[in-house]
Amino acid sequence: MNKNTKRLIYALLVIPIAYISLLLVIDFDVNNKRPILSVFKMLQKEGSQEIVDFSIKGKVDNFTSNPNKDRNPYYGDLHVHTKYSFDAYVFGVTATPDDAYRYAKGEGISHPLGYEMKLREPLDFYSVTDHGFFMGMIEAYADTSTEVSKLEVTKPFHNLNRPENLTVDSAGQRSDIFSSVLGQAILQPYPSWHPKILKAWLTHNTQLALKTFDYTTHKSAWADIARSANEHNDPGTFTTFIGYEFTTSTDTEGGNLHRNVIFNSSKAPIRPWTRIDSLNPEDLWTWQDALREKGMDSVSMPHNSNGSNGQMFESETFKANAINKAYAEKRMRNEPIVEITQVKGTSETHPLLSPDDEWADFEIVDYRVGSRPPTYSKPSGSYVREAYLNGLTLDFTQQGNPYKFGLIGSSDTHTGAGAYDESNYWSKIGLLDGDPENRGSVPLKKENIERLTQYMEAFNQPISTVDINGRTFANTGFTQWGASGLAVAWAEENTRDSIFKAFKRKETFATTGTRIAVRFFAGYDLSSIDLNSDSLVSQAYNKGVTMGADLMHDGDRSPDFLVWAQKDKNGAPLQRVQIIKGWVDSNSGMPHEEVYDVACSDGISVDPITNRCPDNGARVNIKDCSISQDRGSAELKTIWKDPNFSSTNKSFYYVRVLENPSCRWTTWDAIKAGHKPREDQHETIQERAWSSPIWYIPAKSEVDVIPLGGSVNVIGND
Amino acid sequence: MKSKVLIFFLIGFILYLIDIGLNNDDNKSIYISDQEINSLISAWKSQVGRVPNEDEISRIINNLVEEEILYREALLLGLNEDDRIIKRRLAQKISFLKQESLPNKPKRKELNAFFEKNKSKYFVEPVYSFTHLFFSSDNNSQLRSQAAFNKIPNNITDIKSDPFFLGKNFADINLKEIENEFGNNFNTYFKESNLNKWSGPFLSSFGHHIIFINDYRSGFYPPLDVVIDKVELDLLAEKKEGAINNFIDDVRSEYTVIINPNLRIE
Repeated sequence: MNKNTKRLIYALLVIPIAYISLLLVIDFDVNNKRPILSVFKMLQKEGSQEIVDFSIKGKVDNFTSNPNKDRNPYYGDLHVHTKYSFDAYVFGVTATPDDAYRYAKGEGISHPLGYEMKLREPLDFYSVTDHGFFMGMIEAYADTSTEVSKLEVTKPFHNLNRPENLTVDSAGQRSDIFSSVLGQAILQPYPSWHPKILKAWLTHNTQLALKTFDYTTHKSAWADIARSANEHNDPGTFTTFIGYEFTTSTDTEGGNLHRNVIFNSSKAPIRPWTRIDSLNPEDLWTWQDALREKGMDSVSMPHNSNGSNGQMFESETFKANAINKAYAEKRMRNEPIVEITQVKGTSETHPLLSPDDEWADFEIVDYRVGSRPPTYSKPSGSYVREAYLNGLTLDFTQQGNPYKFGLIGSSDTHTGAGAYDESNYWSKIGLLDGDPENRGSVPLKKENIERLTQYMEAFNQPISTVDINGRTFANTGFTQWGASGLAVAWAEENTRDSIFKAFKRKETFATTGTRIAVRFFAGYDLSSIDLNSDSLVSQAYNKGVTMGADLMHDGDRSPDFLVWAQKDKNGAPLQRVQIIKGWVDSNSGMPHEEVYDVACSDGISVDPITNRCPDNGARVNIKDCSISQDRGSAELKTIWKDPNFSSTNKSFYYVRVLENPSCRWTTWDAIKAGHKPREDQHETIQERAWSSPIWYIPAKSEVDVIPLGGSVNVIGND
Repeated sequence: MKSKVLIFFLIGFILYLIDIGLNNDDNKSIYISDQEINSLISAWKSQVGRVPNEDEISRIINNLVEEEILYREALLLGLNEDDRIIKRRLAQKISFLKQESLPNKPKRKELNAFFEKNKSKYFVEPVYSFTHLFFSSDNNSQLRSQAAFNKIPNNITDIKSDPFFLGKNFADINLKEIENEFGNNFNTYFKESNLNKWSGPFLSSFGHHIIFINDYRSGFYPPLDVVIDKVELDLLAEKKEGAINNFIDDVRSEYTVIINPNLRIE
């Protein structure tokens, strides 16, 4: 054997040995078997942090900046799905991001059932936020000419194209696919020796290791979403954000931890960071932090905390560690705003959490997001007001406040078009809830009862219909959904930059789809402002802080609060304005909340004993949904002082504006179809708006709180 | 000679009979592929969490067979013919097929022609700059605003109006934006009001207003270069739409549409 042959054999041996050792290293790392040599870690590349410029070549924006320093309210929706979402496609939706943006600008687009969806008044901003997870993949599964469609797991999707399945009759099969796809798709990794595993590890891109995943399809869907956003962005008139949904959950309880992520640029990362990368939202924030280091800012916005089974606003971290200041700061740096209301219910508070709040029972959805059969979601840890209180409590025990967020609403529509209007409602998931019978507002026809029962039986859903006073309705869970909501930003002008900055400073409010507008200020000298002065707003900005901000203590002085609300010009008049206060007693750490009516319509005064406005007499005629014309106010305005202020208590204050009652969509559906409204549903609702809170920050207490058997030193606090 | 023709005829007839027989047979046989069964089983598995047993498999297959039988019988009875949902879906499918082949980037000439044809779409609306005195409908706006208007020529500083939620002065806003912010067809008053003169009172959704327009810029058609990306977008969208329309036009001549000329719409 000559020297050269020997060399060749050695060389040939070295390759597999090196490969096997590398695989071993990965195995150690992935399974946490032992500390890994950091040198191997250095081989990894953070592919997800690559930034791509998606701006449209040659697109010139003819925009002259004309900022209003008193700021304008801009109305929009930051939660919209199109055909690129795995579930929207399953729901029969074929609307593209372009369709979605056209809808937001005021054009009509088609619902999967054929009717036209059109806004009464265009929106100011919009963001298409498809599920990042498996973005664009389902379309590839359904298309039997693709390589990936030949896999076993994709087969249920083939059936989607059968014509008889693209009808409301296919509801059962469709919801079945929806529930199982999340679990199924990630169960298909390549065998561990496969080069794709190595590639996935080296680029920190777990999804490459899945047979069901095709990176090119995925990236092209993402690029199309970014292109569409940039094409429709029109500074001064209409703003878009490149965005997606990070659709994560807790591992065991199905606790929904979904968030939308939007970017402040025409650039975006090469791919969305998804639940395949990590289920832990802290890892999402780490990724956002890394992008921010590179000059790309983003915000993520949790939603449907109501269906999180107490997981969204837990008092400990995802991995059940204690919350500390580092965690709180990281969370607030990345999640300044939370979606309080949308189609799948409102997450302000729950009657069990706020028994003294007569308006707490509003659009409550009591089951976990996506659970089948619908499974109860525990209220504690799932609602915004309690989170604010728990944030103060965590702050009280010196762990930082991770729940100091502002508020927005959005729709979460899966048809590309948000349904914000009770009188013209199409719910959100296409074929499944696009007609009144299927969403349970109109009694089922006889043949449809049989159909629904069969389908639900076939797909393991125990109860499919409900009998109410001799009429049979679909029991699909959709009656708990509603025509909500909108995100509103106080910004100087309608540009990406200006609106994004409003999100960052939490100068936002949420509405249930109505276009109420509300101003909210706090300061120590606001009572000197003449409420009838034209410069009221600029004075308030000068003398105080506005929604989303902190009001620092000023000795023992009790602050003034200024609220000004205006009705939706097409909606019902205003009934009352409330300030909701939450605080932690500085002695005992006991959390409290209180609802104060601060301004009543029709010149009525607040009853000082009950803190409530007397009935203004506004009524709804359930036969035709007409409302009292002569009751309620076009605007409400007041300066308020907290009657129970204590300068040592950490507190928050936010505004809730209530309209006079009007018909709920279930009532509208029923009367339009010539039926009596369903007796077990609320016949009317009070559309409303919530401002982001103002937090009162007392002087630092000189007392340390020392829990029994523990220490105030939480790891991570400096 | 004659017999040859007869034989040909006979063979033809036999072939015809065989053909009928075969086709008939085809109509009544149901072929279920392995793939189809496997996909149903995997859907079952994903739902229930285990592999179906023999009984269950036969039930699944039986369901499929029954479904297929009912489907075929329904086709035989022509039940598909008047089903709006089936029609719409099939129409949708062919539309997607026709739309899929996206056209290339349009040439300048094409853009120009499109722009000329659709010029009104790119018209830049006239804008107004104005200030106003607002009287809230919550506080007797009709009387107060009328009294104020009568006072205007003499002493405007004495007038006690209310602050308007969106401010006092508006610069360069078009009629659509005015309508969005004031409601109640408020923008109609702008067309009939004079420049640099107090006019009103006019009713909005929130109360009465006396307006003073201090600047008006008429609308204009921008040159193509200013709106070229928008034009391109619209052109591509139209081409997509056009692909279907062209297809319809191509085949439409093969169809005769019959509608009752005496139809009365109730």
